[in-house]
Amino acid sequence: MNTAPKTIRTIDALAGVFTVSLGAAALTEAIRMPRFAERGVDPYTTPGVTPGMIAIALIIFGFLLTIRALRGGSTGAGVTIHVWTRDAVLRIGLTLTIALTYGGFLFGNVPFIPATIAFVFAFTMALELVNADRKVSVPVLLGGAVLLALAAGFGIDFIFREVFLVRLPG
Amino acid sequence: MENLSHMFAAVADIGMSARIFTVFWACFLGIVIGMIPGLTATLGVALMTTLTLSMEAEQAILILICMYVGAIYGGSRSAILLNIPGTPANAATSLEGFPLALKGQAGRAMAVATTGSFLGTTVGMLALAILAPWLAEFALDFGSFEFFWLAVFGVVLCGQLTAMEDGLKGWIAGFIGLLVAMVGQESMNGFARFSYGDPNLAGGLGLLPILVGAFGCAEVFSVMRAAALERIANDTRGVLVASVQAFRHSVTWLRSGLIGTFMGVVPGVGEDMGAWVSYAAAKRLSRNPEEYGKGSVEGLLAAETGNSAAVPGALIPVLTLAIPGSAPAAVLLAAMIIHGIRPGPLIMYQQPEFFYSIVAMVFWASVGILVLGLLLTRPLLLILKVRREWLLGVIFTLCVVGAFAISSRIFEVQLMIIFGLIGFMMREMGFPVAPLVLGVVLGPILDSNFRRSLALTQGDFSMFFTRPISAILALLVVVILLAGLLPTRRIFNRLRQMLRGAP
Repeated sequence: MNTAPKTIRTIDALAGVFTVSLGAAALTEAIRMPRFAERGVDPYTTPGVTPGMIAIALIIFGFLLTIRALRGGSTGAGVTIHVWTRDAVLRIGLTLTIALTYGGFLFGNVPFIPATIAFVFAFTMALELVNADRKVSVPVLLGGAVLLALAAGFGIDFIFREVFLVRLPG
Repeated sequence: MENLSHMFAAVADIGMSARIFTVFWACFLGIVIGMIPGLTATLGVALMTTLTLSMEAEQAILILICMYVGAIYGGSRSAILLNIPGTPANAATSLEGFPLALKGQAGRAMAVATTGSFLGTTVGMLALAILAPWLAEFALDFGSFEFFWLAVFGVVLCGQLTAMEDGLKGWIAGFIGLLVAMVGQESMNGFARFSYGDPNLAGGLGLLPILVGAFGCAEVFSVMRAAALERIANDTRGVLVASVQAFRHSVTWLRSGLIGTFMGVVPGVGEDMGAWVSYAAAKRLSRNPEEYGKGSVEGLLAAETGNSAAVPGALIPVLTLAIPGSAPAAVLLAAMIIHGIRPGPLIMYQQPEFFYSIVAMVFWASVGILVLGLLLTRPLLLILKVRREWLLGVIFTLCVVGAFAISSRIFEVQLMIIFGLIGFMMREMGFPVAPLVLGVVLGPILDSNFRRSLALTQGDFSMFFTRPISAILALLVVVILLAGLLPTRRIFNRLRQMLRGAP
């Protein structure tokens, strides 16, 4: 067994505890599901049977992951959450804030075209401004972002309404 | 004979109609999506599924297949020119393609990749035409016990093979997917599980918003977290000559085509493994293994043939068992069901014309990537110059609108975003996303067949292990679990030492 760095072990242990908790919660719910005995339903076809089996498997797998992490063993392959640089945190913070504002709030509450224009403009501007390798000046960036946002807002609206016959909000 | 005539008729039908234009534009779009690092074939097929809902079934499926084939091939461009695989399936391509580009032979590398993709898709297509009817016939003997084990086998194997040496995390992802599939009204008693009175949850969680979220939205977040890419200039001459030369490595492309097809058939494994296993076999059997890693044409050909052959390979279980061979194939399966097509063992009896249409679609898609790949080498390079900051905002908008387009409900958008965040966190914590999605697809199959089997046997589990095919599948599941859980390498080393008489 490979010995993993402490940060990866902690991440794996937390993931294991989460999996056990999820499995336990699902098992509790599965047990609470109705058995429809009054309707004469076969006890093996009751709704909780399969979720219960899946929940037990999750509890076992989560327990094994937790034990492995606590014992210090893990391949650690693919775990990247502990190697975020300051730039990466800034980029992902901005991306999540702008994207979630658009997808979680603006879309559906504000007419589609203005919401999308605002989102694409904000996304492009914000992430280019924090980009250390930016090659264009701020005025050029501003003009380009406005053009892109207008093209995206009106273009996507046209394609979805006229070609794919989807009614967009607003 | 009748089957052959169905196939030729389907090929001629597409080739001699306006659909041939659809082939080229959909392949082009697929290549563009595939070559942009971070945008995968699954994202392309999932987004396009939402856009083609209002189309006629055959037209929509043709677009999706061309998008799928094009995207898997398109990923080779960025793998060769940027050393960044456009899709995960092109990771092995970058090992040989990028060193060739560094030597100033990018044109040659792209020609070899194009030819390899064409040959791989063609070998896979032939396998699809030959194997699928046979497998469908075989699957007619499957009962609920076998389908239950097939679902478990798919999730466990996919978890093991996609989890980067850590099967446990893959299995957790797969079983969480199965649990997600349990949300909503179940088919036997009409009870809404895990719904808590919410009508949205009672309707079940849709596969497409989950796919667009886990693969599309999560990719936007992952690409923005990563550092920016370096770009290199290159020579793109000698494309046609190199393409003809690639045909001469017949043993390599034939072997890689067969391996890729087989890896595609295995549920949930798909193109990535098709490329890696083909590449590893080519390296092991090569007369010049020292060239590998330094720009081996043979290695590049093997990787690209392997990943492309896995595409038609992944369609074999989709069409015959309704079980996807890869993540994009899972989306295709969902799209077929949405369009009223019923994949499964009976497809060869109920819709044989449709089956051969699929074979013809794969054939024309392979022609599409060959023509576009060889003719548009230089114009396609311009796409790689688009910066992620300018592109991903538009892609995220398409994810949001695509999720909304499925049923015009804001709930689907919220679901897409939640699974985008879950998919992003899973990647960062080393959990593969593909088993989660496969779990969501296979959950209903597992649920109905498990309970039906138990009802048939009145709770007697022995039938799960005594029917011949069930027993084989159960044994395979146990072997995979044990191989992943036990420190097998250490046990083998100790056994070897014991056999040699060492202490």
